[in-house]
Amino acid sequence: MTRRDSMLATLTAALALSALPWLMSDFALALTLTCLMYAGLAVSWAMFCGATNYLSLATAAFFGMGAYVTAWGADGLPYGVAVLLGGLTAAAFAALVGAAVLHLRGAYFAVITFGLGELVRHAITYYEKAYAGTVGRVIAEPPEAIPIYFAVLLLTALAVLAALAVRSSRLGLALRGIGSDEERARTLGVNTRREKIVAFSLSAFFAGALGAAMAVRWTYIDPLTVFNPFIGFQTVLIAMVGGAHTILGPIVSALLFSLLTEFLRLQFPYLFLSLLGLLLILLVLYLPGGLASLIDRWRLGARWRRWKTDA
Amino acid sequence: MAFWFELVATGLITGGIYALVALGLNLQYGLMRIMNISHGEFLMLGAYLTWLGHTVLGVNPLAFLPAVALALFVLGVAVYWLCFRRIVRTAPAVEVIEARSLLVGFGLLFLVQNAAYLMWGADLRGYSFLAEPIEIGGARLMANRLVIFAFAVGASLLLLALLRWTLIGKAVRAMMQSPVGAQLVGIDTRVLHPLVFGLGLAMAGVAGALLSMVYEISPGMGEPYTVTALIVIVLGGLGSALGSLLGGFLLGLVEAFGMHFTSLSLKMLLSYAVLIGVLLARPKGLFAR
Amino acid sequence: MAITLFTRRAILGALAAAVLAPAFAQDGPVRIGYAIARTGPWSAGAQVTQEPNYIMWSEQVNARGGLNVKGKKRMIELVALDDRSDMETVVRSYEKLMGSDKVDLILPPWGTGANFAVMPLAQKHGYPMLSPTATGRKLLEMKNPYFFALLQQPDRMMTALAEFLVARGAKTAAVVYVDELFGLEQFAGLEAALNQKNIQIIEKKSYPIGVKDLQPVLNDIKVKNPDAFIALSYPPDTFLITGQSKAIGFNPKLFYAAVGTAFPVYRDKFGPTAEGVMGLGTWNPKTGPATKAYFDAHVARWKKEPDRWASAHAWAGLQILEQGVAKAGLDRKALRDTIANSEFDTIIGKMRFRNGENVSTPGVVSQWQSGEFEVVWPPQNATAAAYYPKPDWK
Repeated sequence: MTRRDSMLATLTAALALSALPWLMSDFALALTLTCLMYAGLAVSWAMFCGATNYLSLATAAFFGMGAYVTAWGADGLPYGVAVLLGGLTAAAFAALVGAAVLHLRGAYFAVITFGLGELVRHAITYYEKAYAGTVGRVIAEPPEAIPIYFAVLLLTALAVLAALAVRSSRLGLALRGIGSDEERARTLGVNTRREKIVAFSLSAFFAGALGAAMAVRWTYIDPLTVFNPFIGFQTVLIAMVGGAHTILGPIVSALLFSLLTEFLRLQFPYLFLSLLGLLLILLVLYLPGGLASLIDRWRLGARWRRWKTDA
Repeated sequence: MAFWFELVATGLITGGIYALVALGLNLQYGLMRIMNISHGEFLMLGAYLTWLGHTVLGVNPLAFLPAVALALFVLGVAVYWLCFRRIVRTAPAVEVIEARSLLVGFGLLFLVQNAAYLMWGADLRGYSFLAEPIEIGGARLMANRLVIFAFAVGASLLLLALLRWTLIGKAVRAMMQSPVGAQLVGIDTRVLHPLVFGLGLAMAGVAGALLSMVYEISPGMGEPYTVTALIVIVLGGLGSALGSLLGGFLLGLVEAFGMHFTSLSLKMLLSYAVLIGVLLARPKGLFAR
Repeated sequence: MAITLFTRRAILGALAAAVLAPAFAQDGPVRIGYAIARTGPWSAGAQVTQEPNYIMWSEQVNARGGLNVKGKKRMIELVALDDRSDMETVVRSYEKLMGSDKVDLILPPWGTGANFAVMPLAQKHGYPMLSPTATGRKLLEMKNPYFFALLQQPDRMMTALAEFLVARGAKTAAVVYVDELFGLEQFAGLEAALNQKNIQIIEKKSYPIGVKDLQPVLNDIKVKNPDAFIALSYPPDTFLITGQSKAIGFNPKLFYAAVGTAFPVYRDKFGPTAEGVMGLGTWNPKTGPATKAYFDAHVARWKKEPDRWASAHAWAGLQILEQGVAKAGLDRKALRDTIANSEFDTIIGKMRFRNGENVSTPGVVSQWQSGEFEVVWPPQNATAAAYYPKPDWK
């Protein structure tokens, strides 16, 4: 598919999805919201980490920051502005931090980014307690379900469009170069530092904006709930299972993962985590290419089968 | 004077536990690039086994340690065989092993934690063992914490000695330095991998057993320790066993002193600031080769 | 041939059943839905204080023939979900229960945060909720007509503590509290009460959740030698503070740790060391015959004791629901009005709400004595006399 076709497909899908609030029950809408949120998080994560092979656990930090922007702006800031501001704050933070830590790789980078979430959480707890005399804030007048849905839908669609744009741009090329051999990329004239910071910030923007958008659903915002590391882990999980170097993979993975988790949770109230874990292990062991490999197989069809046997 | 001694002692005791957990994880990661994010869950199993042994069978927790170590070693070998062996063998590159083992680790985390919730319920459990204060040099410390420290350091030093002076230890270190080179000189990775993995989990189990003497246990207790272990490994340098030991102590001391000199609330900030600082100065950790 | 006969008989049988069925018709079960933490950080509290009560209550009611809905008895069917200690899952679960499944009644989740999240939904869909594990002024300030807080609010409990200190002639207090809404509100309540009673707070320090070592802080406080030491703490910190105070030999005349002292595991872990430790409680089996019956039933069913604070509130909330439904049926608006305007009989005494707050149950101070968490203040609610000063650590 050409880039233009993919973008058109994305816009069409988004348009179709925007009809859902009037067709679905609250619960089904909430489930769709979760699918969309994780799709957005996973795609934006993969935008940077998929190409460059970095393992970032900073999603929780960005998400939480966005959530707090909404909480702080609850009296007075319109919802849309808060969401935008949440994204920008996270992006700025990512740029600042990225400049300091993006030279690390592998497990080092992963641990540092995980630490960021904890760092920001503790910093905010301290600030709130010392200067605002409170821990946790109440969002007294949250927006209705429909604006929230549209905000998340818009953000996810934008994330996909951004990922598509990046993939076929010079930035995307540079990122893939960094992913395969950073030294070489540098000798070929790529300003690796700048490109990494740009991509990292871009990916952080969506995580922050999504955090700002979703947090209003919880009425009460406190550091422990919004800086939940599980959000970061789940994003990484979904993106990697889907195939982090693709765009469709994380989307499909987010959909399947959210639906599967919910189905298991409702059907097997005591066992579902065990089942999920078991499925995950089996998936990784016997379908190592992730869901993306399944998608490729379906797409290429006969050609794939022939290629496999020829090789 | 007694006050400083107590502060240092507290830091070292906490650090000893961190070091023990980190060493186990470091073995798995340094050797096989297995990112076992479920490491802490096996710590939790060790804690529960000890609690069961003490409250149901009436066994002294210290005497039970070898049993716990053995049980988790066997479990570790089984887990490696079922879950990780395939990844290590079939992955085309080291980053791929890391990525896939991370995902499998998540699966294990869900599985083991949920099994614990089912078996023992979510309630907090606890028992008291050697909860008597001891006075050393004017400082008052709990006997059980001292015991934990002694065992943690002992186990760590034992491991280091094994690595340095036994033939198997040398083989393991060789594999950590260069997997291909080790195989070329005839080291059988098929035997050593599961052994080392099992050893790593055994150490986690022992750490959990020791912790159960002081703290309450619950099915979710393992995750924070996994995180701390990762931090310690990174701080000390991946693949460096000595680095994990010293890194653990360092983290413990930073926490203890940080809490005292700054507000309690800033403790975590300080720990992470130190981590970031270290990595900025020495990107591969303090003791990496 | 045989098949046709069989078919004919089957059809006749079905017709007969269809005709006669209305005569024997029973209304379907009353569906009561809830999401609660079975896994994750909230589960330790939820599985001691709340869910065991929910399940035991529905079993007891069904054994009696069902829930009395304005005279007609109907069986209870619980629709329960695990919320995984995750806010989004809590919200989504209740949207399902109230919006899609349209259950008849709901029971609340565990914890102040989760209850905050469910409150707007409860109001939107019109389901009353009686919460035994949510506390704080901020909740009540939301003025949500469908929300009822069963626990005594911070100012009530802290005033009781202050009154006890005055009665025993304590002059100074040192306070530590957890960096959480709970800790902050309790501290605000305590500070106000102590200032009013002219008891001097000689040290106040807060600490982050998950702290692993408080010995330096405790050492500092020990040196200052307060009459009373009050920790507004959560279970992990409560356990830590107890152990570390014993280690350094810090034994003030009054030793109080807020949450966690009421849990049976506190006594199980510390044994004789727990003697004399005070904390947030409300009842014990000696409070009355009703509480004894509840206690025994709980132990028989779950092989574990209920906690001595909020477990009883959870049970009381269920009793109120039962009494309310008997009067108002399943018309949830009428039920809400009944709950808001009536006085109810519960195992912890009469209970009445004003603006969503339980204004009947007094604040109390409890203390571990010989393996039971006795209520020691105020005198009219006490099950035993207080030990003051606290005996030395055993």
